[in-house]
Amino acid sequence: MARKQSPARLVVALSVAAVLVIFLVYTSLASGTPLVQPSQLPKQHGSVSLAGVVLRPHGNARSTQGLRFGLRDFAGKTTVNVVYHGSVPDLFKAGRRVVVDGTLKNGVFVARPDTLVTKCPSKYQPKKG
Amino acid sequence: MTAAVVIAAVLAVALVLAVALPFLREPEPADDRLVALDARAQRRLALAEERDRALAALKELELDHRTGKVSDADYRAEVGELRRQAATSLRALGERAEAARDRNGDVPQLRQRDP
Amino acid sequence: MAPLGRAALALTLGLAAYALVAGAYAAWRGRRRLALSARNALVAAFGTTLLASLILLGALLRHDFSFVYVAEHTSRQLGTAYRFSAFWGGQEGSLLLWLLVLTGYAAAAVLLNRRSAPDLVAWVVPVLGGLAAFFAFVLVFVATPFATQQAPPDGAGLNPSLQNPYMLAHPPLLYLGYVGLAVPWAFGMGALLARRADERWIVATRRWTLLAWTALGVGQLLGSHWAYVEVGWGGFFAWDPVENAALMPWLAATAFLHSVMVQEKRGMLKVWNVILVSLAFWLSLFGTFLTRSGVVNSIHSFAQSSIGGWFLGAIAVTAAFSLLLILTRLELLRTETKLESLVSREVTFLYNNLLLVALALTILWGVTSPIVTELLNGVPTNKHQGYYDFFLRIFGLPLLFLMGVAPLLAWRRASWRSVRASFAIPAAVAVAVGLVLVALGEGGSLLGLLAYTLSAFVLASIGYEFVRGTAARRALGEPSWLRAFGSLVARNRRRYGGYVVHAAIVLLALGIAGSGVSGTERGRLLQPGESMRVAGYTLTYLDQTVSQRPNVTELRVNVAVSRGGHRIGTLHPGKNAYLAEQQTSNEMAIRHDVASLGDLAVIADQINQTGSRAVYLKALAKPLINLIWIAGFVFVLGSAITLWPDAREQRRLADRYDEALAPVAS
Repeated sequence: MARKQSPARLVVALSVAAVLVIFLVYTSLASGTPLVQPSQLPKQHGSVSLAGVVLRPHGNARSTQGLRFGLRDFAGKTTVNVVYHGSVPDLFKAGRRVVVDGTLKNGVFVARPDTLVTKCPSKYQPKKG
Repeated sequence: MTAAVVIAAVLAVALVLAVALPFLREPEPADDRLVALDARAQRRLALAEERDRALAALKELELDHRTGKVSDADYRAEVGELRRQAATSLRALGERAEAARDRNGDVPQLRQRDP
Repeated sequence: MAPLGRAALALTLGLAAYALVAGAYAAWRGRRRLALSARNALVAAFGTTLLASLILLGALLRHDFSFVYVAEHTSRQLGTAYRFSAFWGGQEGSLLLWLLVLTGYAAAAVLLNRRSAPDLVAWVVPVLGGLAAFFAFVLVFVATPFATQQAPPDGAGLNPSLQNPYMLAHPPLLYLGYVGLAVPWAFGMGALLARRADERWIVATRRWTLLAWTALGVGQLLGSHWAYVEVGWGGFFAWDPVENAALMPWLAATAFLHSVMVQEKRGMLKVWNVILVSLAFWLSLFGTFLTRSGVVNSIHSFAQSSIGGWFLGAIAVTAAFSLLLILTRLELLRTETKLESLVSREVTFLYNNLLLVALALTILWGVTSPIVTELLNGVPTNKHQGYYDFFLRIFGLPLLFLMGVAPLLAWRRASWRSVRASFAIPAAVAVAVGLVLVALGEGGSLLGLLAYTLSAFVLASIGYEFVRGTAARRALGEPSWLRAFGSLVARNRRRYGGYVVHAAIVLLALGIAGSGVSGTERGRLLQPGESMRVAGYTLTYLDQTVSQRPNVTELRVNVAVSRGGHRIGTLHPGKNAYLAEQQTSNEMAIRHDVASLGDLAVIADQINQTGSRAVYLKALAKPLINLIWIAGFVFVLGSAITLWPDAREQRRLADRYDEALAPVAS
């Protein structure tokens, strides 16, 4: 008994194509934020996520002046000054590795508020200092 | 540390025994072939699955009809075809299969089944 | 004892390798006794792994700091429960737990199925043996838990943020889930290797998959609750790579669970099913790899270790093996049955597969794109929250819709007549809810409104199903509504259990939508006596208190909470300073509001203990958020109903396979 071929498969295949198109369009328009360390900053334009080791923090993140600290490469000497406003995670202190979003303006990294994030001490390695 | 050595030794012996057990139990087996499904058995299994699917579909149709998901008209339209499919599968499997299912009391088209 | 531990693991490696090699040869050549021998080896591997685990556990409980692992993860003052949980607190221990669960599951699976599916089991043994051999290899040669040293006086202790009950439950549940997915995968591969096109492998592993999937789901919810309550930033999920690592296999497993129903009812989607089970397991393995190597930048950020390379190899081999096997057996899996109508339950399941896989793959891309961009541009590029939110909505909302629609459609083809009739009431409820929400002023967010109305639609269609079913049983003669309801569920456990699980997912969606879309956040610097307002609450900063405990200084800000002019309570957000570990933790204060099923969460972001004693408070109102945790309980209930054994069904299935194996009577 011959059955009329249902358009179901065609419709489903078109849906798959539609999903792919949505995906490609979205990712080309809104591509993520590069994650860099201070030494890589000069090559970047626009908003980046900056990762580094905290040096000499001073100031108050909730005051108009903001929290100021230096951020140094994990394994290098390049340091950049950061100005930050917003919440400060409890694990934040000098010597910690942190990531913060923002843009480099006139040699100072101006952070986007509330984007400061610390890396938890590693669960899978002996704690180092 | 002698406790550890003893445990290790006992363990080693036990493991060798466990692994060799099938050979020790039957040094000269009549038949060392692994049970496998030949083509005929596979076909029978495929038919059995078809039969079960048809019977389950019938049962589900009854349930759906009773709960109102399938209207009387749709039920009448579907049930004939499903019964035919079930009957075909059962016939293909032979009387033996039907007898076995009768024993378990599981024949939807002969008796009203509760949802 | 440590050398014995090492020896036990080495024996596990040997046994698993034997199970792989001998088992594969025996299955290929059809040698019964050798297959049996390989199976015994796999089961024995559980025994030796158990021994190794007990040795490590003993060392942890005994404070045996000559074990490097014990010294690194415990200390003399650590309570018994956390010495126990330190088993999985570190790299080597957690790998051992993986192996323990794997060999345990493997032993159970092959023993339970040894009589009913011997040809399948013959191939499952080498597959699981190979997997176990990999983990044992890593544990013996790359990351051993049994390294020894000159015992120091005390250990390094456990990070205080890990010292809570969640640490006892969250990782083991996740592992039961991750590893559990290996069993259906092994059976699927076994079926292909044995050249079987029937659904025996699915029938054999249905409960395994359900259990693993439930464990994975509950484990994730626990992790989210942990993040919400303990980490204290007011959120519960951040699309962190480690969180995604658990979500992706769960999504693939959800697709698999549904897709196998189509194979069961219609004999279709066989290729989909082997692909889905392989994808689910592969994502689980990939997730394990993600959380152990520093490959992807993550807030959990586990350190770089040599494990990464080995795991990458295992992932590549597993993927290649599964793909090759499926490709070479493709002919076997072809079916005659075609899709008959666009309006049928099969099509909704197919879309279900597509959407879930699409979501899982977009998350996968989000997780791996930093690696890819780093390889291409020299700099990794992370996807932000917006990326994940977008795809969650665009795939999640249709999925929500499908959850409501699928039960209303019949298999094969549904006539428009019956579809219209079934849709009418749930759709009407949904529209009514939507209108009420707009009238109440919640129409601000279109997406929120859509989520709420779709949720109402699904809940209404589920409720409708229960009502119709109970009414039908009443009509059959059940004495009371309660008995009718009970017998309805008891006789159709998978269907109605499934509905309960769907209800749980809807509650989850409502909780996520409500706390996100309808939530409010306010932050203010307050002097003592000053107040701030958020979502109808008035918070007044009273004073600070400090309490000193053995290792902890607890600093708390006392905040009076009022609503509508009446004082309804006091909250005490603050910070804990841990002396030995030189760390502070944020202690968020939460007040549950029964009416809105929501929370008022207050964080003492900044506390000045001197001078003005001003305090920066962040207050978050999160309506409906408790639905998320309630959903967890409903989820487990639904799963339990579905899992409940049905004796008649078991017998029916047993008969089916016995008949096939028995010789035909002449």
